[in-house]
Formats: sequence, structure tokens, C-alpha cells
Amino acid sequence: MAKVKFPRRSQLVLGLTLVVASTYVVLPLASATEFSLRQPAKKNYGLDNFSWFMGDPDFVKYLLISLGLAAYSALILLVVLVPTTVWLNLSGSRFRRMVEFLSLLPLVVPVVALAIGAQTSLPEFAQTDETVLAYMFAVLALPYAYRTLDTGLRSIPLGTLIEAARSLGAGWVRAILRAVIPAIRGTVLNALFMTLALSLGEFTLTSLLHWDTFTTWVTTMSQSNILGAIALSMFSLYAVFALLLAIGFAVRQPKFHENSEEE
Amino acid sequence: MTSSTLTLRGVTRRFKDTVALDSIDLDVSQGELVALLGPSGCGKTTALRIIAGLDRPDSGFVSVGGKDVSRMSASKRNMGMVFQSYSLFPNMTAAENVGFGLEMRFVKRRTRNMRAAELLEMVGLPDHAKRFPHQLSGGQQQRVALARALAFEPDVLLLDEPLSALDAQVRANLRDEIRRLQLETHTTTIFVTHDQEEAMAISDRVAVMNQGKIAQIAPPAEIYNSPSDEFVAGFVGQMNRIPAEVVGDKLRVLETLVDRRMHAPATGAVIALVRPENLVVERADRTSNPLNAVVEASVFLGPLTKLTLRVGDNLRLTAVMPGGAAVGLHAGASARVYVQNGTYLAVEK
Repeated sequence: MAKVKFPRRSQLVLGLTLVVASTYVVLPLASATEFSLRQPAKKNYGLDNFSWFMGDPDFVKYLLISLGLAAYSALILLVVLVPTTVWLNLSGSRFRRMVEFLSLLPLVVPVVALAIGAQTSLPEFAQTDETVLAYMFAVLALPYAYRTLDTGLRSIPLGTLIEAARSLGAGWVRAILRAVIPAIRGTVLNALFMTLALSLGEFTLTSLLHWDTFTTWVTTMSQSNILGAIALSMFSLYAVFALLLAIGFAVRQPKFHENSEEE
Repeated sequence: MTSSTLTLRGVTRRFKDTVALDSIDLDVSQGELVALLGPSGCGKTTALRIIAGLDRPDSGFVSVGGKDVSRMSASKRNMGMVFQSYSLFPNMTAAENVGFGLEMRFVKRRTRNMRAAELLEMVGLPDHAKRFPHQLSGGQQQRVALARALAFEPDVLLLDEPLSALDAQVRANLRDEIRRLQLETHTTTIFVTHDQEEAMAISDRVAVMNQGKIAQIAPPAEIYNSPSDEFVAGFVGQMNRIPAEVVGDKLRVLETLVDRRMHAPATGAVIALVRPENLVVERADRTSNPLNAVVEASVFLGPLTKLTLRVGDNLRLTAVMPGGAAVGLHAGASARVYVQNGTYLAVEK
């Protein structure tokens, strides 16, 4: 009853916009999918292109490396960022503006500069394996993750929740883990998604630092088999999508409403 | 009264240039409910936060049961707190919220759930254990918050204007409920409020605060009947300010001689502070004394009638009398007004 009813004409415009927009996204995807399923030798459709790369011994190896790096960078970001944003929000510190500015830097600084900077400034023991990428991915995801978390924290009565938890016997860590993070799990999840998606798809930095991950492996592979390359790209796209969807369903966002029922 | 469980000594807190708390001393006995009453900015919430451990005093100390807790973190103090704004954890059910304090004390889930059910029953919400905060009304949320603060049997219960976000009817109910629970559990309680009626209604003692100091701490009746100074007199209840004259150790107010307490020079013209119910108003046909007032307005309040009187050119007084006694004192009527026998506070003009 309370729903806003659009007049028929604007409904038509809305529908049309939706169709055009989804065509814009869906059409290339559908075409690429169709292309990846072609089997020119047999002149039909099938999963040949997919079995081609899945049969490669390096497929699982690099997939695991990338997933591991993604998980690690997400972890680093959350461990560093959640307490920091909580502190910034609680203290009303003047560092806030500075942190906001710093968090934007990765968008502005060219990845090449970042790569060279990492190579010259990071201690050698930190550069012995591809773990170094996780730290760099965390930096790259910073602008998105910081903003998302900050917005989430502003939407809850952060101070009161923490004080309530502390007065009930929780220390700072437990107050954040039990009272704050669950209250903004949707937001934390979004920050997590962005970091995961960014890490899983990162190519430039990885290639510049001469490490091999799933994305660089895909590039190498695609040079020998164009149809296989498309299939591989489609796979990574859908796999990441499925992964994010799965995490999204596993953790659901709590609702916030006040006075939904009168006493 | 047994030994004091909560003690504040010389507690001072400054924020930049302002002194929020100026060397506060306070002793609260086991099971006592003390209200901190005052206008906003008087330091009452700061005092509560320092007791809770959410803020630190610049000097002075807080002790509970003789033990200095000044350096102890909030999480270790074993004090339950109810906040002004809704503070329930949005991702937890009512029962989980109530059990949170016990969870933090590593109490087993079974025991926690039983205790939560018991507490929810106590606050009148036995059927709401599985509800989430957003499914509860404001009043219900504060009840759950109260249950949560009491669940782990705190040494001290701290209430930071818990009723101010609620509407009038719910507020009155919950106010009485808080008092009932407090007496039932015999929990030492500090209740911060800016609402004098609230403070008077449920406290054993009221501490009226002004500019970072406790102006007076006494049982409600004493605060009302013998306020220690002009601020307390003006803040708690209604007060008429009537020009008066010091006559020896007496006070002449509206041509009546009464006893006095002074906060002013011991001679000459002063202001007497008189409660509306301490004014006696007589109808023109019931008195032989000269008439000195005109009724400007008469408001019938059921058991009582409130009169606004004008004396002379620029003195306006408020008097309250039983409904029956006010018959004939309608607007425009002339009357005789004087002050009942008693002791009145006189302040500088």
C-alpha cells in the first residue's frame, strides 16, 4: 500500500533504461561465453577449451597462489583498517583528514611507481616470495576498503556500542570483535569483496615485480590458444563472482530500525 | 545504612578551559539510589562516566567497597550501565544481549540463557527473548538494556538518562520499574537525570549539581523543603521570588514575619524564596485584613488549583491550593495573600 507507484510512462522509461543497461553488460559477456564454448574442429559447442587449461598442471597451482594472496591481503587490510577506522571515528582525531588523504594515494600513484618503490624500499626478506604481493594488494585496495568501512562505522552508534560492551566486561579487542564488526558485517563484507576481487584480478603490479599468479599465468597461456584464453577469462570471471556470491550468502546483513513496534 | 560502597573523593575533570567536575566528594551506601540532578553541562554525566571508568579524572579517586578503582579499566569494574541512547547490540537477540556480560565473564551458555530468561522475566519481557533490537520499541529496548546491566550482578548500576528518549507514558512506567528492580536487587545505583520530577520520584537521595559541584545532596523532601541555596531552590520545583526585609532574626515577607535562613547580608532588603504551596490566599469576603492582591488567572488541575496573582504593580506570584479552597478566587477577584509560618531562604536582592 505504502509503495510509491510510478506513473505508467516513467515505468516504461525505467524498463527501457534497465534493458539498455543490462544489454551493455550482458551482451559482451554472453558473446564471450558463446565464443569460449566454440569447438571449431568438431564444429559444435562444448567444454574443450575449458578442459584444455584445466588439464594444465599449473592451473591449480596458480589458482591456489592467487586465492591465498587474496585471502592474505584481505586479512591484512581488515586487521590494520578496522582498529584504525574505529579509533579515528571515536577520537575525532585530526589525523582523520590525513588518513583520508593517504588512503586515496594508491589511486593517484602509478602502479609502476609503486612497484619500483616496493622493490627498492622493502627489506629483502619481505621480497623472497610472492607474499610481498599481498601487502601491495592491501595498499591498492585501501581507497575502497577504507571508505567502505568508514561509512559503515558512521552508520552505527559506535561510541555507545563500544562503551556498552566495555561496561559489560569486554576489553577493547573483544568489544570490536563482538560488538562492532558484527554490527557492520555487511560493510566489512563489502570491504572484503573489494579486496578479494582486486587481488584476484591484479596484473600490472604482479608482472612488474616478476611474480607469477593466476592472472599472469592466464596471460602466458592465452598467447598460445585464443579460444582457450577466452575460456580462461570467462572462468576467472565466473569463479570470482561465484566466490563473492557464496561469501555474501554465508554472512547476512543485520537490520537496523528503531521503534518498529510500539509498547 | 551499611558501610559506603561507592566513594568519590576530590574528583576533578577539566576539558581544555572548562572545569567539568570540581573536586566532587560523594558517598553512596550499599543498595542506595542516588540521583545526580542538574542542568546540561553541570558535570553529572562526566561524573557517571568517571565512575564507570569510561573517562579518567584529572585528580581524585573513585573507590568501590573500599577498593580504589581509579586506575581500573571499565571492563574490570563490574558496573552495569544503561545509556541514554539505544545501545543494544543490533546483531544479537534480546537474550543474547542480556547474556553478553556473562559471556564476557566466561559463563557457560546454558547458565547464561537461564539467567537471561530470568532477567527478561523481571523486566516484563519474558516473551521477547528471541527478538532483535529492531523488533522492539524504545521502551522495550531500554528494559532489555536494564536487564543486560543487571544480569551479572554489578556492584554498582549506572543509569545515564535512560528515560529521556522515551515518551511520557512509557517514561513514567519505566521509572517506577527501575526503582522496583533496584529495591528488589538491592543494587547500589547512580541515576543521572536533568528531570527533577524523575529524580524526586525514585531516589533515596538527590545530588543537585551546578557548574561541576554538588550544590546539595539530601533526601528529595529535604531538597524540596530546605534547599541549600538559590540554585537548588530554583532548579527543583517552582519558587516565588518576593521582596522582603530583614527584621532582626526574622524576615518580613508580604507583611508576615517568618523565620529565615540567609545567603545574603543580615540587614536590609532581600529576596525571600517561597514555594507556591506556602502562600495562603484568602477571598475578599473571608478576611478582615486589607486586600493586597488581584487574581490574574486560575487554573483548575483536579485536586489542586493554580493561581496567578498580582501584588502591587510588578510582583507576580504563583500559588497552589486545594481545589475546594480556591472557590471564588476567579480571575479578576481581589484577595489577600500572605506567607505561611515557617523558615524561608532569603537571598541577596
